[in-house]
Amino acid sequence: MSQTWRLLDTGLRSAAHNISLNRALLEARAAGESPNTLRFLRFTPCALLGYHQSAAQELDLEYCQAQGIEVQRRITGGGAIYFDPGQLGWELYVGRRDLGLADMEAISRRLCELAASGMRGLGVDARFRPRNDIEVAGRKISGTGGIVEGDALLFQGTLLLDFDVERMLRVLRVSAEKLSDKAMANARERIVTLRELTGDVPALSRVQEVLVEAFAEGLGVAFEPSGLISEEEERWGAALQEVAQPGWIHLVEKPPADRSLCHATQKFPGGLVSASVDFDAAGERIKQVWFSGDFFVAPRRAVMDLEAALRNTSLERLESTVANFFATHEVDCLQFDPVNFARIVRQALGVVPQVAA
Amino acid sequence: MATVRGCNLPDDLYYNVENNVWARKEADGTITVGMTSYACSLAGEIVSYTPKKVGKEIEQNKSVCTVESGKWVGPVKAPVTGEVLATNPDVAAKPGNINADPYGSGWLVKMKPSNWDGDSGGLVTGAGVANAFEVKMNADGFGGC
Repeated sequence: MSQTWRLLDTGLRSAAHNISLNRALLEARAAGESPNTLRFLRFTPCALLGYHQSAAQELDLEYCQAQGIEVQRRITGGGAIYFDPGQLGWELYVGRRDLGLADMEAISRRLCELAASGMRGLGVDARFRPRNDIEVAGRKISGTGGIVEGDALLFQGTLLLDFDVERMLRVLRVSAEKLSDKAMANARERIVTLRELTGDVPALSRVQEVLVEAFAEGLGVAFEPSGLISEEEERWGAALQEVAQPGWIHLVEKPPADRSLCHATQKFPGGLVSASVDFDAAGERIKQVWFSGDFFVAPRRAVMDLEAALRNTSLERLESTVANFFATHEVDCLQFDPVNFARIVRQALGVVPQVAA
Repeated sequence: MATVRGCNLPDDLYYNVENNVWARKEADGTITVGMTSYACSLAGEIVSYTPKKVGKEIEQNKSVCTVESGKWVGPVKAPVTGEVLATNPDVAAKPGNINADPYGSGWLVKMKPSNWDGDSGGLVTGAGVANAFEVKMNADGFGGC
């Protein structure tokens, strides 16, 4: 007989409530008090930092305050996101050994693949894209992140039913620097919602149903709906106090100036290409890169997949990551040499690449 | 030096095997703390490092620093109770140093133990290291470094 896991729906809540519940539920699972759980959650409008991010560096805090957008810090990793009731959050709290996988990347892949298979039940061709995205035709529909605590882990993801791209660009500081029609078009090209794909926002109950079915089948378990246990309620109270402290939001503080968005545009044989690079100069790491311009690449999604492959890449591995991407993906570039993607990033960073004679 | 499933595990260090952390006793009575090569292999390339502040007293098995790799956050648990004496600026600048040299330049914090003799009894060192990690890797379903 299969194991029974809990299905927990905590509904629409503030970010402080949701994040403190993350902490309480994970601690209770790690302490062996609570069962393995699939949780659904939604947020009132908020900006959520990744655990290791700085609010001043990532967010337009003035805009958030003026608009009544709550600012919180996730306990999981990854980048800052804007959340409102148009997105569904899904989370798994499980014992590490219950998944039968040790390697963290393998765990991400497995859980994203299950979530994607559930999304396909809604008639959209959702697929896992390394390392942490779920995409439809190259456009991101779900982002994920996780945290390990003792023998337990929490893995969480979003699902865009509907989304306000302009608001996201205003909330996130780096993209706000270039809030233009072009930036809006670029962001819209890279993100997709169920509303856009299916012509309407599907019923929340239907979306939850397909995800539950996919996780149940993939993990070989049955889900039984139930609420919080008393130990979790108790831990939640303590966690809520902790995340309400300014020290929590400002746990990591880095000056905005330490983070730069660099641009370059150049005409190469085969086309004109631009790169915008979100660069961590101290750590010599590409946080994110966006390519645009007038060059032939087919399928077009390859550009977005390349951007995903370059996320969080140390600068010394730029060229090898680009080369490896084109060696492992079927991409037709006609006259355009794929090496130019690495060259334009180097140019944006002010490091002119040496061109082989 | 022990090598278990390709992971280097120096047997002169003191390990909390379950938490995958090591401590090295220094001549002046302080300790240096870090992640094992096994933990690094499970995590993949580490991209963020946030240690607890210097001067803070950390209880045994409570988080003394947090690292992030591939969007996974993981706390690193203090092997013994003590005060944080130093954090590693080179790792703060380049967290990938942890993977590159987990027992050397990739150390995470230095601590002043409040009761080393009392707290270190549960830590594994010397001849027992290889077997303890073999058992853990087997339970975790780990292929190898």
